[in-house]
Amino acid sequence: MKAAAWLMALGLMAGLASAQEVKWNYDKLAAKASDSVDVSLSGPLLRLATKFLSDDDEDEAKVKKLVGGLKGIYVKSFEFKKPGEYTPADLESFRAPLRGADWERIVGVHSTEDGETVEVYIKNEGKGIGGLAIIASEPKEVTLVNIVGPIDLDTLSKLGGHMGIPEVEVDKKK
Amino acid sequence: MNLDDELRSALRRREPSPDFTARVLARVSMAPVMAAQRPWFSRPATRWVAAMAATLLLAAGTLEYRHYQGERAKSQVLLAMHIAARKLNRAQKKVQMITHRSNS
Repeated sequence: MKAAAWLMALGLMAGLASAQEVKWNYDKLAAKASDSVDVSLSGPLLRLATKFLSDDDEDEAKVKKLVGGLKGIYVKSFEFKKPGEYTPADLESFRAPLRGADWERIVGVHSTEDGETVEVYIKNEGKGIGGLAIIASEPKEVTLVNIVGPIDLDTLSKLGGHMGIPEVEVDKKK
Repeated sequence: MNLDDELRSALRRREPSPDFTARVLARVSMAPVMAAQRPWFSRPATRWVAAMAATLLLAAGTLEYRHYQGERAKSQVLLAMHIAARKLNRAQKKVQMITHRSNS
């Protein structure tokens, strides 16, 4: 009886964990893309990756600390040979699951100069952030990021100064 | 000869031939030689060594695969964080540009 209750609780927890992942359907974009990046890490594989991140290397140590409490990391990036391979409706389909009460759009920028759009969503969970979603599009590229679990945006943005990414000074005043 | 005589004759004690003991001892001394003549792969010690070697190989293979999986997962995490950080920075940079423009 106890075992059955445990199994039910575990099943419920697993269901909740998987429910936190944003359900995006990439099939349409994947079919048109000339190149793509697909990172999908959760559960044991994510824990294994954390074990392989070095404490001695400064960048890896930061990433290790950052991903230590995460439940899943999902990144999809599609590159197209020419502009217009994806439609505004395609992007809209990625926004739709983020319209729930849990999600909040904290940044939405669009540049008419280069046609780049970046939208950053956070999932409010208790007092902190329970997840992150980024929808970024350029004329020939669409990138979707979904990080499941508590994520420190400050630390994540500071990774920009490392791993070959130029750092951007951000006004810390709120 | 009646039945009693026949039985008595059949069951009477017979002494072994004088070379019986020598022949038995010769056979006994040949036994290890015969065992040594068995193929090397059918000897118990060889089987144990083979089993241990197979177990070690399996363990080494499993460890190697686990290491490969870990290294691959690590690169994926680094790539994912790289992309996420880059996109977050792009958004921050654009917000900063807009703020800078509106302030000036």
